[in-house]
Amino acid sequence: MYGTERRGAPVVSFLRIGEQRINERDLVHEPDMVIVLDPLLGKSVPITDGLKKGGIVLINHPHKGRETGLGGDFKVATVDATNIALDTIGRPITNTAILGAFAKVTGSVSLESIEKAINDQWSGRIAEMNINAVRKAYEEANMPEDVSDLPPQKVEVKPGERDVSSWRVFRPELDKEKCIGCKRCYILCPEVAIGMVDGKADINYPYCKGCGICVEECPVKAIEFVQETL
Amino acid sequence: MAKKFEVMVGNKAVAYAAKLARVKYVSAFPITPQTTIVQYLADMMASGELDAEYVTMEGELSCQASAITASTTVRSFTATSGPGLLYMHHPMHMTSWARLPLVMAVVHRSTKGMQPDQMDTMSQRDTGWLMLECQNSQELLDTGIMSFKIAEDPRVRLPLIFAGDGYILSYTSEPVEIPAQEEVDAFLPPYKRPYPMYPEEAEEARALMSEMWNPFVDPQKVWADQQQAAMNAKTVIKEVNAEFEKWFGRSYGNGLVEEYKCEDVDAVLVSMGTIASTAKTAIDQMQKNGKKIGLVAIKSFKPFPDEEFQRIAGYAKAMGVIDRNVSTGTRGGITFTEIRHALYDVDERPVTLNFHAGMRGKEVRVEDLKRMAEKTLKAANGEKVSPIVEWA
Repeated sequence: MYGTERRGAPVVSFLRIGEQRINERDLVHEPDMVIVLDPLLGKSVPITDGLKKGGIVLINHPHKGRETGLGGDFKVATVDATNIALDTIGRPITNTAILGAFAKVTGSVSLESIEKAINDQWSGRIAEMNINAVRKAYEEANMPEDVSDLPPQKVEVKPGERDVSSWRVFRPELDKEKCIGCKRCYILCPEVAIGMVDGKADINYPYCKGCGICVEECPVKAIEFVQETL
Repeated sequence: MAKKFEVMVGNKAVAYAAKLARVKYVSAFPITPQTTIVQYLADMMASGELDAEYVTMEGELSCQASAITASTTVRSFTATSGPGLLYMHHPMHMTSWARLPLVMAVVHRSTKGMQPDQMDTMSQRDTGWLMLECQNSQELLDTGIMSFKIAEDPRVRLPLIFAGDGYILSYTSEPVEIPAQEEVDAFLPPYKRPYPMYPEEAEEARALMSEMWNPFVDPQKVWADQQQAAMNAKTVIKEVNAEFEKWFGRSYGNGLVEEYKCEDVDAVLVSMGTIASTAKTAIDQMQKNGKKIGLVAIKSFKPFPDEEFQRIAGYAKAMGVIDRNVSTGTRGGITFTEIRHALYDVDERPVTLNFHAGMRGKEVRVEDLKRMAEKTLKAANGEKVSPIVEWA
């Protein structure tokens, strides 16, 4: 990774499934299904644009489909992939968990096939943790709920705005009483998201990507890492 | 023998090609989107799957220079992208001058951005290298293996680039069949050292030196010889493509061009690389609606398949040439210019149209290609269309 890049930046990727060789190499503009790995992404990206009528959104979200804030001519399935990943892998890496939910919701791939693919890719403890994530997500996924009577989600962050709050899974919280003003976090924050006010650190949240460097570096443990909630 | 498939990205397919060709030397310098090719190769060497020397250089210029030296002795490989390829430009002339069959993979990256277009290889057009283009990951793997055989053929002995679009191929996963090592070994014989090296070959070396420095040899001869070799490559590419088909059951047109659904058509779209791949879907849809248009995918850019286009002119009344490149100051894209050049010798010339598309990774959708196909069909039906060259 270069510079201040880290996991969590909005990225879009595409998948086509077919029996024959697929020659089309343009992007998918009218998907049958949208898989969203970040519960807050919908606030900065119009995630359901182009989704076919009656299509499915599978979103990493702690609540059921109708409580995700999404609305339109489609169905919403959910899985609490972040917490499943934290439980099984110990890190908020949600890719394999969401795959378990995909298997459950669509039935287009079996659990065994996913487990085989994971065993091909990794081995030992890593493979085991990821397989646990897949199984747990398969059990806990909430099946699609109709949201055609609900209003569409508003995209709040406009393109060009530099609010990266939605990147965070954990948020640094400063205890001003404990802060000794040593400026370590101020110097080391890769996003220049920490300023100094009256000799104490001051976190500018819209610029914070939640990398946790300040939490790690604080010599007096004045910064705590707290999981973001919806 | 049971077929072995693996879902892999284009860059891994390239690494497999180098591995199956049993390259002995890899010079590497990372540049997006090429980096993972040399990472996969480094992994293969670390795990003992591939027995080769791997040297991380300080830049692409020395990457090419060291590969030149290595390829005088062993089968060598390097890979790069966009600006990295531009940085290799100077020694690349040397590689072809020394007639070294070095094979290089290029993952297209624009010279004006991270996304793909063909300006990186097109900027090396006259370095004397052969250039092949690929449409999918399987083709990357297969072309990689064929490349060594083509470049090393005694009738050719020229360096060769095989290329695929960055991102669109390099990072897209798809199922790829991996040929068995024994079969590749039978298809591709061991590297034949092109220059004398040992004391017992001293006489041969002396003869070579005296020819090199002979003041009475026509100074143009080096170019004339290269030109002859590049033209010989047309025959060799066709032969290697046909032999590959015999061994592995796959081939790519006649090796120089792939004519896709060109039976009973009035017009053709012409393109290279992944645009040609997407165009296949457009052609499928057009023909389903009764439109008589096919696709010609250029597989070999160098040598350029003039004779093929002269033959295609016999059945296509119009050609819509899609170029992911531009030669500013001339009248269009580079393959467009080459095709018009080839067609000059034909009595009944088809209408030729040009579309610049996909530059700096601009998306080329099936709809875009269908629109280009419609325009080309109009021209084939005798309608006047303009402009001849357009930015699609």
